[in-house]
Amino acid sequence: MVENMAITDTIQFFVTCIIDTLYPQVGEAAVRVLRRAGARVEFPAEQTCCGQPAFNAGMRSQARRMAEYTIRVLESAPGVVVLPSGSCAAMIRHGYLEIFAGDSQWSSRAESLAKRTYELTEFLVDILDVTDVGARFDGLLAYHASCHLSRDLGVKHQPSLLLRNVKEAEIVELPHGEECCGFGGLFSIEYPEISRAMLDRKIHNIRSSAANVVVACDAGCISHINGGLHRRGLSPCVRHIAEVLEKT
Amino acid sequence: MPDYFHTQIREALANTGLQEALDANAERRVEARLKANAALPDYPALRHRAHTLRASTMARLDEYLEQFIAKAQLNGIIVHRAADATQATQIVMEIARENNAHLVAKSKSMISEEIGLNRALEAVGLRVVETDLGEYILQLRGERPAHILTPAVHLKRADVGKTFHERLGLPLSDDVSALVAVARQALRMDFLEAEIGITGVNFGVAESGSLCLVTNEGNGRMVTTLPPVHIALMGIERLVPTLDDLALLLTLLPRAATGQKITVYTSLIHGPRRPGDPDGPRQRHLILVDNGREALRQSPLGEALLCIRCGACLNVCPVFREIGGHAYVGTRGEISTYPGPIGSIISPGLFGQSEFGHLARASSLCGACKEACPVDIDLPKLLLRVRAGGIKIEPSRAKQKIPRLVAIGVRIYTWFSIDVRRFRLAQRLLGPLSHIFAPRSIWMHLPAFTGWGYSKDFPRPALRPFRRRWMSRQPGISIISESVVSVVRESGDKPDQLFETSGNESLDSHSLATRFAGELVALEGKFTFCSRSDLAQRILQILHNNNIGSLLSWESDQLPTSLIEAIRAAGVQVSYDLDPSIRAGLTGTLAAVADTGTIVLTGGPGRSLFSSLLPEVHIAILRTSDIRESLPQVLRLIEVQSAACVVLISGPSRTADIEMTLTIGVHGPRELYVLCLDE
Repeated sequence: MVENMAITDTIQFFVTCIIDTLYPQVGEAAVRVLRRAGARVEFPAEQTCCGQPAFNAGMRSQARRMAEYTIRVLESAPGVVVLPSGSCAAMIRHGYLEIFAGDSQWSSRAESLAKRTYELTEFLVDILDVTDVGARFDGLLAYHASCHLSRDLGVKHQPSLLLRNVKEAEIVELPHGEECCGFGGLFSIEYPEISRAMLDRKIHNIRSSAANVVVACDAGCISHINGGLHRRGLSPCVRHIAEVLEKT
Repeated sequence: MPDYFHTQIREALANTGLQEALDANAERRVEARLKANAALPDYPALRHRAHTLRASTMARLDEYLEQFIAKAQLNGIIVHRAADATQATQIVMEIARENNAHLVAKSKSMISEEIGLNRALEAVGLRVVETDLGEYILQLRGERPAHILTPAVHLKRADVGKTFHERLGLPLSDDVSALVAVARQALRMDFLEAEIGITGVNFGVAESGSLCLVTNEGNGRMVTTLPPVHIALMGIERLVPTLDDLALLLTLLPRAATGQKITVYTSLIHGPRRPGDPDGPRQRHLILVDNGREALRQSPLGEALLCIRCGACLNVCPVFREIGGHAYVGTRGEISTYPGPIGSIISPGLFGQSEFGHLARASSLCGACKEACPVDIDLPKLLLRVRAGGIKIEPSRAKQKIPRLVAIGVRIYTWFSIDVRRFRLAQRLLGPLSHIFAPRSIWMHLPAFTGWGYSKDFPRPALRPFRRRWMSRQPGISIISESVVSVVRESGDKPDQLFETSGNESLDSHSLATRFAGELVALEGKFTFCSRSDLAQRILQILHNNNIGSLLSWESDQLPTSLIEAIRAAGVQVSYDLDPSIRAGLTGTLAAVADTGTIVLTGGPGRSLFSSLLPEVHIAILRTSDIRESLPQVLRLIEVQSAACVVLISGPSRTADIEMTLTIGVHGPRELYVLCLDE
């Protein structure tokens, strides 16, 4: 992995298709937080989508085309790549290696990219060595651990570290906070009954916690849980961690 | 064809008794496993060793099998090899025939389920009795196992009581110890009378030819000790090289399965009764079953063979928890022998992609299974490979069992995503369309058939996506088409104005630079901030992206120190003399005009004008301190007034002469890159 990144080094922000299209304010918040933490942020304008939906579907040639496109876009500028999404970062770090296994040219390009790709909280804590971004958020916060972030990338403690340093916030327990919310991308569309059962559980756990805001690092989970809360007449209380860390 | 899988799922979700049973199983088993593993000195290390061990064993399986068979035969075991289920059942039937058997007592064996043994034996008139309590209950109910390890996981005690009442004539009871006592009583005679005992094998040990069985109830010992003939059925992958290796797996298996440090009985079986032995079968047979395992081993799903059948992945899986083992059915409605995460991989892998491939799609890929697996099998990765075709990963929608609408949707989405212009277009349509569809709320109520809308609402797409906000005219935004967008670094005490347009634009050089950048970009030029140390790299990148290997340049003393050296060192040919074949030109600048996005170049010694005129690509180096607000300021510069020739360049060359269609790049450069040093 990239070591000793100088604070003035530039990072390439990969906003992810969901945040770009559905939650642009989260993208803005993430950029602000990164800049406040001392990083210089650039936005490779030709980025679109990492290709996870196609890969998830089993459509490898489509996924490959999107992966090749994304690699080319991100190769055109140096510096680390930071994403406000665990599942998209995992796609680049692991999914791409799976897609290009056996292709010597693309494999090495994928590996080079993977080595400099980070999820947002991982980047702040592990690379910039920042656990306090000067945020202030009055509320009872609980943390929902998105599966790809915590298990695929192994990023388990970084979000909590950052949240603990948010002034005026009280961190409360989310029962079974590490259990899957039931989104799983296409899974929630192909198997909506199972997805709903899992969502019901997650919502039950949220309601039985003391939290008034649930924090997550993945916009897929957020859409799924908030969409479910809203459909049930409840307050969509899940926020992206960037939105919490941005507040001062 | 009716969708049996979805039907079973719905039934399972509606079955409250099942739901309670599955919840109880999940909670207890997961807690027990975690507790047991925590008591180990270094569980992660053991797990890693186990993975490596199993993987290397699979890699050299033929070798170990040969060693194993030779040793087992030396020990007196009669070894058979069965290529498939039919051969395996035939071998068993043959042994039964030779021994005039009427009653077969079975200990739990998933592989016997897999090959449909009971059915085959009963078809030729044999009575088969399951002696494992869970299997015994299921046999009475005529059901298949609902779990790899605990076959009756789906049943509550009341269900068992009812079954015993109906099938054994017992008074209705849900007293568990009473039910167990009944089973013990009923089966005792069968143990004593059976001519054949059949078991599986947890592990075969190659170096010693041992068959290792781990059991709790005692029935395993019964059927391997009392009947005169013992038949062990073993998948060819259930092998470990040495007894030390066995010890490692015996440490991990019980803990992962039930949270026990060790099962009540761990048997190491070597051979039949020896002269002088008081008991033991006079014949021991081992049937090594392939049934698709060798093909699986050599396929992209091969890692699945590392499985030691502990069931931990089932117990932790949030999907299994909702639907239970009986819901894992094939396209013809047949319950798969192996459910859960591992089952969703080996069912299509062993029994057919078209029959069972869809099972791998019923997963959110949460990864809890991988985390729980004592040999660290990457189950999510394998599930994804099943989705991509399984044993043979190939682009065939039929093999991949991708729902038609999903496949169409992904194709459309891919088309939009491999070209940023299409992507932007899609966003520009999506925003307004969704606002028409759902004007009043940011949450869209989609109909149930969309899948998403079944139980939740969808967030309305934004009118201004992130990339538009980033790129629109605000302080400090600009674009280089090679996907580099710079943002002005704000000074310490200014409020963050990243995405807000500021009314009072300060006249400090940063702000001028961003205005300049905005104007330049509007003219189809490209701008980026750059540090001195990055200059050479940026230039090389631009050349590389345009497939250019040579440069027409101002002389090196007119440019930042050592820049030409660095460029030459990278293998680029740099010429100061006129050469029309060179496709890129490099110059400095005297000044720039923020208002109009103009750069100012003066001719003179070492500063060829052709460098900024002839080549297709013009790269110009600018300093923020040289940017003036307006044209008059620039014209007042003494250098401008005294130079023989001054050129003001505002973007790349263009024309709209032909049908008013704007074309960039006519006779002058078609690309203008301004690299701006912050000084």
